[in-house]
Amino acid sequence: MKKWLKIVLIIVAVGVVAAGGLIAYVYLKPHRDVSKEQGVQLSAQKIFDAFKTNEADANTKYLDKAIEMTGEVSDVTTNQDGNVVVNFKTNDPLFVINCTFKTNPGQLKPGQTITFKGICTGYIPDANVVINEGVLVK
Amino acid sequence: MKIFVSFIIAALFLLNTAEAQKVFGTRNGQISFSSASDQDVKAVNNEVASRIADNGQITFSLLTKGFKFKLAEMQDHFNDQYVESTKFPRADFKGTLVNLGEVNFSKDGAYKTSVKGDLTLHGVTKNITANGTINIKDGKPSVSCQFILVMKDFNIDAAKVTDKVTVDVSCQYQ
Repeated sequence: MKKWLKIVLIIVAVGVVAAGGLIAYVYLKPHRDVSKEQGVQLSAQKIFDAFKTNEADANTKYLDKAIEMTGEVSDVTTNQDGNVVVNFKTNDPLFVINCTFKTNPGQLKPGQTITFKGICTGYIPDANVVINEGVLVK
Repeated sequence: MKIFVSFIIAALFLLNTAEAQKVFGTRNGQISFSSASDQDVKAVNNEVASRIADNGQITFSLLTKGFKFKLAEMQDHFNDQYVESTKFPRADFKGTLVNLGEVNFSKDGAYKTSVKGDLTLHGVTKNITANGTINIKDGKPSVSCQFILVMKDFNIDAAKVTDKVTVDVSCQYQ
């Protein structure tokens, strides 16, 4: 085989592998799985207090982090995609921690105290803190 | 005595108007967007906090990190490069129903409507109008509407992917 042909073939092969790798990276990269992460442990009341007192500060501490939160269930609903949503009580009757499960946690009842682990997406003043993609810890 | 009576009447009137204004809310409304030019640009947010009052005021708030894409890589790009979710975690809309007179909140039915107000996204506030429908069922409203969002209007540099997206809003209120 001619030397230049060999070089061309090698370049093409490297190109194909790199392109394949890039496509695989873009299309096959898994979504974050919070169940494999160590969460920041705190209570529903504490995360509410943190955001209410200083949103910017709480964002640096909790935004996009895995949060393992314990609190009292206020109500249980489902969202429009059929995922279970639990609102956790705070000392403000109009404010809850809004938590969406990615796996079904089974039967949950208002008044129950549970621990939920999910990813915090932030704070909506006068409404709730949002944590989603979550699982039931206990 | 006269003053006392007029005070009572005024108080009753105030009470009455306070009662007349009804506010409905949800914490888990849905807002999704998609691009006609790139089928991978498709995401949904199921944690939209929204309130609608029968005086025509309507608000929506969502956290941009709450948008779920099918592709994790796309989701990261959206948050890190396009809407810069860490710097601007929230998007807010505050507006009013343009044709409030045609919507009867106490009568079941589907009412065509149009909503106009200020959308704040990526640190930029712009006035937008969206056409949609309000459905009243058993005294509870639900809203669906659609609008086109042009990326550069909100200083979002996503030219490599898409220059605009179609936004769909669907909220069921309690």
